Amino acid sequence: MLQDTAWRTRTASVLSGALRLWDVAATVQCDDDGFIVATGGATLRIVPRAPHGWMIVRGAETLGVLAGMPGLLRQLREELAPQAKRGRLIIGAQSLL
Amino acid sequence: MNALPFSVITGFLGSGKTTLLSRLLRHPAFERTAVIINEFGAVGLDHLLVESSDEQILLLEGGCVCCTVRGDLVRTAGDLLARRAAGAVTAFERIVIETTGLADPAPIVHALMTDRNIADALRLESVITTVDAAAGAATLDAHPESVKQAALADCIVVTKSDLADPAATGLAARLQALNPTAPKLAAMHGAVDAAQLFDGRAYDPARYDPALFKTAAHRHGGINTFCLRREKPLHAATLSLFLQLVAEHCGAKLLRLKGLIDVVESPGRPAVIHGVQHVFHPPAWLDQWPDEDHSTRIVVISQGLEAQWLQDVLEILEKEVNACSIS
Repeated sequence: MLQDTAWRTRTASVLSGALRLWDVAATVQCDDDGFIVATGGATLRIVPRAPHGWMIVRGAETLGVLAGMPGLLRQLREELAPQAKRGRLIIGAQSLL
Repeated sequence: MNALPFSVITGFLGSGKTTLLSRLLRHPAFERTAVIINEFGAVGLDHLLVESSDEQILLLEGGCVCCTVRGDLVRTAGDLLARRAAGAVTAFERIVIETTGLADPAPIVHALMTDRNIADALRLESVITTVDAAAGAATLDAHPESVKQAALADCIVVTKSDLADPAATGLAARLQALNPTAPKLAAMHGAVDAAQLFDGRAYDPARYDPALFKTAAHRHGGINTFCLRREKPLHAATLSLFLQLVAEHCGAKLLRLKGLIDVVESPGRPAVIHGVQHVFHPPAWLDQWPDEDHSTRIVVISQGLEAQWLQDVLEILEKEVNACSIS
């Protein structure tokens, strides 16, 4: 079961931490349907989808359907912190051992 | 083709980089070393101070190698490799780059690890940072560049140890808090055990120190260091997603990340991961665990990242991957 209390707490913590990382002043609240992210100018609902995945909704508009947390955070950042610099993982060619 | 090791010697202005390099090059083991010295001024002087048995000393001047002349560094390294292959220069066995005193070593390492023309021919051996035993504490207080240089090091050389005791001044404790994973060596007049500086590989299982992964969280000078732990194994997909997510969102706040990972798909053979900011070596696989502790341990040196956030991200990703897993 994905959506237990510990999972909800962790997910809210991940969302809150990401917002701090992007310097976005916002609150994250849990409700029966998922999470509500409220900034000064926007309120987004983040709804878990069974068996896994996410949906981001603003009002009646679905902004995106994402397969997992990486996609969810990426779209959230595009919505709430488009100015935040996006990095890219680079795996070099050089062996470690 | 065997990749040639390259090392970066960095450290704040006056911390003894050139003296260290000069002493190293007198060591027989370093006869076949090509040296690239970067100087900020229009007329370089440091290269005149380096005594070498070889003439393979090149000067990059007119800018700092971490920003304005990074392309010149790549071209210079490429030219050196081409001349070596053509037999036009002595077949040097390593390249050492001495940065300016204000340089950020991360872009230098990134450039040499990722440039398509030279990355296959080189491998990062070590980032060595010199810190002045006498003035180092004040430098760390006043210059964030020096803090980052120390935090990014694979090895820290405390120079001028004849002038001050780093333990007595508190410098030793500060360096340990800043970068617990880097060995700290003492140098007097630039003399240091060269074999400890250049051990050949970015990760050497023979030099594994379990104390590195038992580090309590530290915060100092805008740098915080902590260790993520996980008792149960992670899926390889989780590790991949985690590193991508961290690189994507944490940006320059991540300075270094080193870890031993218990991977579901590789029981008994942990993965070693090692990154400088968003650039990582390919994960390496050990034949066995280096000690009795078989848990996943990831040491993070950062500028303000939250340990709990990263731990939560790791757990959420693993749960999502588990939910998708068909095994």
